[in-house]
Amino acid sequence: MRFRNRRNRRARGAQSNGGVTSLTSLGEGEKGIVTKAMGGFGLVRRLTEMGITPGIEIRVLRKCAFHGPVELEVRGVALALGYGVASKVFVTPLKDEADA
Amino acid sequence: MPNQLRIALAGNANVGKSVIFNQLTGLNQIVGNWPGKTVERAEGTLHFKGHTIHIIDLPGIYSLSTFSMEEIVSRDYISIEKPDVIVNVVDASALERNLYFTMQLLELEAPIIVALNQVDFAAKKGLKIDVEKLSKALGVPVVPTVAITGSGIDELLSTVIATVNGEQKRKSLKMRYGREIEKRVQAIEKLASSKLSQLCTVYPTRWIAIKLLERDADVAGKLQNYENGKEVLKFAEKSAGELEKMHGESSPVITTSERYGLATKIANAVTIVETPPRVSLEQKLDAWTTHKFLGYPILAMVLASMFALIFLGGNFISAGLDYVFGIFTAYIESVFLLFLPEIAVNLITDGILAGIVAGITIALPYIVPFYIFLAILEDSGYLPRAAFLMDNLMHKIGLHGKAFIPLILGYGCSVPACIGCRIMETERERFLAAFVVVLIPCAARTVVILGLVGRFVGLHVALALYAFDLILVFILGRIAFKIVPGEPVGLIVEMPSYRRPSFRNIIMKTWSRTRDFVYVAFPIIIVGSLVIVAFDALGVIDYITVAASPLMSDWLGLPPVTSIPLVFGILRKELTLILLQDVLLQQGMVLQDLTSVQMIVFALVTMIYIPCLATIAACKREFGWKRAIAIMTVDIAFALFLGGLAYRFLSLTMLT
Ligand SMILES: Nc1nc2c(ncn2[C@@H]2O[C@H](COP(=O)(O)OP(=O)(O)O)[C@@H](O)[C@H]2O)c(=O)[nH]1
Ligand SMILES: [Mg+2]
Repeated sequence: MRFRNRRNRRARGAQSNGGVTSLTSLGEGEKGIVTKAMGGFGLVRRLTEMGITPGIEIRVLRKCAFHGPVELEVRGVALALGYGVASKVFVTPLKDEADA
Repeated sequence: MPNQLRIALAGNANVGKSVIFNQLTGLNQIVGNWPGKTVERAEGTLHFKGHTIHIIDLPGIYSLSTFSMEEIVSRDYISIEKPDVIVNVVDASALERNLYFTMQLLELEAPIIVALNQVDFAAKKGLKIDVEKLSKALGVPVVPTVAITGSGIDELLSTVIATVNGEQKRKSLKMRYGREIEKRVQAIEKLASSKLSQLCTVYPTRWIAIKLLERDADVAGKLQNYENGKEVLKFAEKSAGELEKMHGESSPVITTSERYGLATKIANAVTIVETPPRVSLEQKLDAWTTHKFLGYPILAMVLASMFALIFLGGNFISAGLDYVFGIFTAYIESVFLLFLPEIAVNLITDGILAGIVAGITIALPYIVPFYIFLAILEDSGYLPRAAFLMDNLMHKIGLHGKAFIPLILGYGCSVPACIGCRIMETERERFLAAFVVVLIPCAARTVVILGLVGRFVGLHVALALYAFDLILVFILGRIAFKIVPGEPVGLIVEMPSYRRPSFRNIIMKTWSRTRDFVYVAFPIIIVGSLVIVAFDALGVIDYITVAASPLMSDWLGLPPVTSIPLVFGILRKELTLILLQDVLLQQGMVLQDLTSVQMIVFALVTMIYIPCLATIAACKREFGWKRAIAIMTVDIAFALFLGGLAYRFLSLTMLT
């Protein structure tokens, strides 16, 4: 995990555009840093408690077809979010260093 | 010195609490690999080195905030009942997320011991935890365990005893927040300790202050009873407002982030990454079974093989048992007739014995294979994947993917399915889910559909009935979704790693579920059979037949006597087919004398018309009379309505 954090910092430096997008616009395997979760008090709070806090790195593992749910990895745990929920989580995309 | 102790198991969902609970008490409790299914708290007792230890298995939760009822229940249990020790079960393979919960337990100033469970699974992922270091960082004892093999359980108990006896003195970690938060927490704390002194004897003052700063609705509600509660609340709200202005986030997000920050720091410091995890079979399985296209045929195949197993296996076993019991009953009857009057023998054989035989030969052969299959699905971790795949479709009826889980349960028995709706987050979700779940043909209804339509009309027609049922579920679900007020909630579910199901777990689970089924169902089956025999003797049957005759023959096109199995089917739906056979026999008919249309109409009505007595009771317990009656009324009305339509439509199209 320490290892992953070191990578974060480097990746953050190499990031291509600083634009904030919704989690749903990340492709499978792409990473991002959470900036904010929008929505009602309860939803935001629940997401935060599942570990989706501002500044944390997440990786999209899988997306269902036709605006289906998104599976992501956060804090070493796989989490599935419905499309509506995922679209309320905003992230700064990270450029994948794998293709560098 | 027999010492009484109370300990509670607490932790995230799916970390192994129930397996540890079973290891400790030997009591069977439902355990599985999908989050949120420990919906009722389980209790047990064990004896260890002269101590009597009462254990309670708290529901799996992610935090001690007030998102769900279970969280409030758990935190109230911890603070109000004050168990001697809380065993915080932690999943070593997801330490960071689990420690977040530990942070909150520490904040509640609960006496905790950490059971660092699943160390075997963590090792498989290439993670090793420095136990001593973790214990130092948290300031509480940490015992590594592997619940499924029982390793570490004795050490855990010894540590519990040592802690209670005060042999394990450690100063548990007190988390400090950032300066701006800390300043406000302390100010609220000071105010609370003078104004809410009574509440501060139940909950730690600092904890009250933090929760108030987080705008915790439950704690705020508790202040209503205090004279100066308003003043404290106002001050806390002002403080929260200031913080939120500074950070641009709501106050719980700020505190949660800090707690997670500390959890991350500790997790990183004690975790040693040994080998880079390679792509394992589990990961490949994961990729296939949740694949955006491939996942669906796999899901269909899994469900199809489940039904194949239930139907074919069930039919086979059922037929065998039927044969055996047929001989057995005839023998018993002849023996009893030697020394008892005929009426008494009738009561025994047609009432009690027939009931038991019906239960064993009809219900169990279908129920047991289903429970085995379900246990495998649960333990492997497939169910959340199914929820993931079905999320989109379930949204169309106002629910999210998780509702698919009770829906599958519904094909076994409506009662656990109804209770399983508790995994849904809100009251509205639970009700909507229960509404569609009772429409799913349970194993008992399957007996009627397959035993009547499948056997005499054709399997394809029986399958068509199932398909029709799904369409109906969809349509009615959608209507209910539009009628019941409230906002739909989105899916948030953890996807646990795939695990090889443990044989012992499956056997235990199947056994305890079957036992529950027998306890609940068999008395009703027997009483039901007795009532029928008695009614028959008293002539009540004829009365019902006459009264229901217009509805039966004119609207549904069925022989009037078929009202009897439908009415008594409420007691237990698998009785329906047996009763149908019985009443027809009294008219000098057999099942085959019914026309195809009559069989289909009868099966259709049985499939939809009402959940059985046990299900009604479960619905009532979950939602109260009003909603239980609403569900029943809609079901009966629709069953009769559709039955009549089907009769007319089929008579036209199937005319030969
Ligand atoms: N490999 C491994 N699996 C475990 C261990 N403890 C529990 N499990 C599995 O984890 C899953 C969840 O366990 P359960 O007791 O139902 O979790 P609960 O939600 O905390 O009650 C089950 O499939 C167990 O078989 C362990 O120590 N090692
Ligand atoms: Mg459990």
